[in-house]
Amino acid sequence: MSIKTNKSVWRLLAFVAPAFALYAISLLIPTIGGMYYSFTDWNGLKRTYGFIGFANFVDALTDDPDFVRSLWFTMKYVLYMVVLQNVIALLLAAFIETRRKSKAFFRTLFFMPNMISTIISAFIWTFVFTQVLPQLAERTMLTFLDQSWIGDPRVSFYSILIVSLWNGVGYMMIIYLAAMQGVPKSLQEAATIDGAGPFQTFVRVTLPMIAHALTICFFLTLNGAFKVFEAVYGLTGGGPGRSTQVITMNIYEEAFSNNFLYGYASAKSIILFVIVLIFTFLQIRVMKKREVEA
Amino acid sequence: MTLRRTASAAIVVFLALGAAVACFPIYMAVVNSFKTQGEMFESFVALPSKLHFENYAQAFEQVNLLRSTMNSVLLSLLGIGGILLCSSLAGYKLSRTKSRLSGFIFFLFISSMLVPFHSIMIPLTRMAKALQAQGSLFGLSLIYIGLGVNMAIFLYHGFVKSIPRELEESAHMDGCGELQTFFRIIFPLLMPITVTIAILDFLWIWNDFLLPLLMLTDMNQYTLILSTNTLFGEYNKEWSLILAALVLTALPVLIIFAFFQRFIMAGIAEGAVKG
Repeated sequence: MSIKTNKSVWRLLAFVAPAFALYAISLLIPTIGGMYYSFTDWNGLKRTYGFIGFANFVDALTDDPDFVRSLWFTMKYVLYMVVLQNVIALLLAAFIETRRKSKAFFRTLFFMPNMISTIISAFIWTFVFTQVLPQLAERTMLTFLDQSWIGDPRVSFYSILIVSLWNGVGYMMIIYLAAMQGVPKSLQEAATIDGAGPFQTFVRVTLPMIAHALTICFFLTLNGAFKVFEAVYGLTGGGPGRSTQVITMNIYEEAFSNNFLYGYASAKSIILFVIVLIFTFLQIRVMKKREVEA
Repeated sequence: MTLRRTASAAIVVFLALGAAVACFPIYMAVVNSFKTQGEMFESFVALPSKLHFENYAQAFEQVNLLRSTMNSVLLSLLGIGGILLCSSLAGYKLSRTKSRLSGFIFFLFISSMLVPFHSIMIPLTRMAKALQAQGSLFGLSLIYIGLGVNMAIFLYHGFVKSIPRELEESAHMDGCGELQTFFRIIFPLLMPITVTIAILDFLWIWNDFLLPLLMLTDMNQYTLILSTNTLFGEYNKEWSLILAALVLTALPVLIIFAFFQRFIMAGIAEGAVKG
C-alpha cells in the first residue's frame, strides 16, 4: 500500500513540477522576498542591509506626503472606475440586447478599443486631448472641450478616467452580454405580462439573474483599478509634479527611477497588496451574500 | 406603440453616439497619420488631401517594425506554448488526484492570483538580474509562463472534472502509459478551454508593457509596444510620425480581432464565468 501511495505522490509531483518550478521562481519566491525586504533598509547602493522592523511602513504612511496623496488619488480613481465602468458596461449590454440586426455590429464597435493595449490607448488619447480637442473647441461652439486635459491635475484625473473607461468598458460589456444571454426570455415576458415596464423588468428580473456576472465584473474592475499604471504613465507620467501619481507609479519611481530604495518600495508594495486584499475580500463577501439572497 | 418606438429610437441614438465616441480616437489616429504636419494643423477632422505614406515608411524604420513584431510574436508563442503545456499537465493531475498534498499545491497556485504584479516586481527584477535572465527574450518568456500558470491551472482544473475517468482507465487497460494517455486522449479533449486560455494569454502578453519595460535592456529585443514607447518619448511633437507608429502597433491585434472576434469574446466570457 505504502509503495503504491508513494508512487502516486511521485506521479503527481512529476506532472506538477514544470509549472511549479517556474511559478516558484516568478511568483512565489518574489512574493515572499518582497515581504521580507519590506522589513529591511535595503537599497541599491549599499552592499549590506539590516532588519528595521515596521519602520518602512510607518514612514510610508506618516512621513511621505507623496505616497499618501497617491493612495488617495488611487482610491478616488478606483471608486469612479468601479461605478462608471460597470454602469456603462451594463447600460451598453442592456441596450445592445434590445437590438436584433445591429447587435453584432455594436458589440464589435464597443469591444474594439479593448484590443488596443492601454499604453497605446493612452498615447492615442494624448493626441486627442492635446491637439484635436483644442482645435475642435476653437472652430466649433463646443468650448467646454478646450481644457487643460493633461496639464491641470484636476482635469487630468478625468482624462485618465476617460482613457481607462474607453479601454476597459468593452471587456465588462462582453461578460454582461454573455450573462444576459443566459436569462430565460420567458421570465422577462412573464414580468411584462404582469405589467412591469422595461426598466422594472431590468432591475427586478435581469439584474438578479446576472448577479454572478456583477460579482465578477466588480471584482475585475476593483482589482484592476488599484493596479492602474499604463493609463497614467502614457497620459501624464504622474505629473505635473507628482500630482496625478498613482500607487503603482510611486512604487515604480521609488524603486527604479530615482532612489533605488528597494526595502522602502517593497513596504509600499506590500501596503498595496494588503489594500487590494481587504477590498476584494469585502466586495466578494458582500456581493456573494446578495447573490444567494437574490 | 408610439412610446415603444420612441424608446427604441432613443436607444439607437444613444448607441450610435457611444459608438462614435468609441471610434473617434481610432479614426483620428488613422486619418491624421496620412497627413503632413502642416495639413494636420489646418484641420484634424478633415480627410487627407493626399495619402502620405512616407509617415509610415519613417515609422516602419524608427520602430524597427519587423524586428519588434518578430520579438512580440516569439515572446507570445513561447509564453503561451509554455503556459499551455505546463498547466494542462499540472491542472489535469491536480484535478484527478484527491489528496491533501494535491489540494495544498492547488491552493498555492490559485491564492497567488491575488498578488498584484507591482508587489513582486522589485524582487523579480533583482532576481532576473542575478540569474542573468534580464535582457533575454527567452528568460522573459519563462517569467510569463511562471506568472501565467496559476490562472491556466485553475481553468484546466475545473474543465478536467467534466471529462469522464473511464476514458483514461480504458486507455490504461490497453497498455497506454500515463504521459501517452494524457497527450493522446486527454489533451485533445481539453481543446475548448485551451483555446480560451491561449486567447486570454495572448492578449495579456502581447499588450503588456511594464514587465518588458523592466526586463528588456537591449533595443534589439524590444517588443512592439516597447519600441513605440521609446519613439513616443523621443519624437515628442512629431505627431504624423507618432500616429503612424501607433497605428502600426495597434494593427496586428485589430487584424487578429477581425478574424477571431467570436473566439475572443467567447474566451473572455468563458474565462470570467469560470473565475
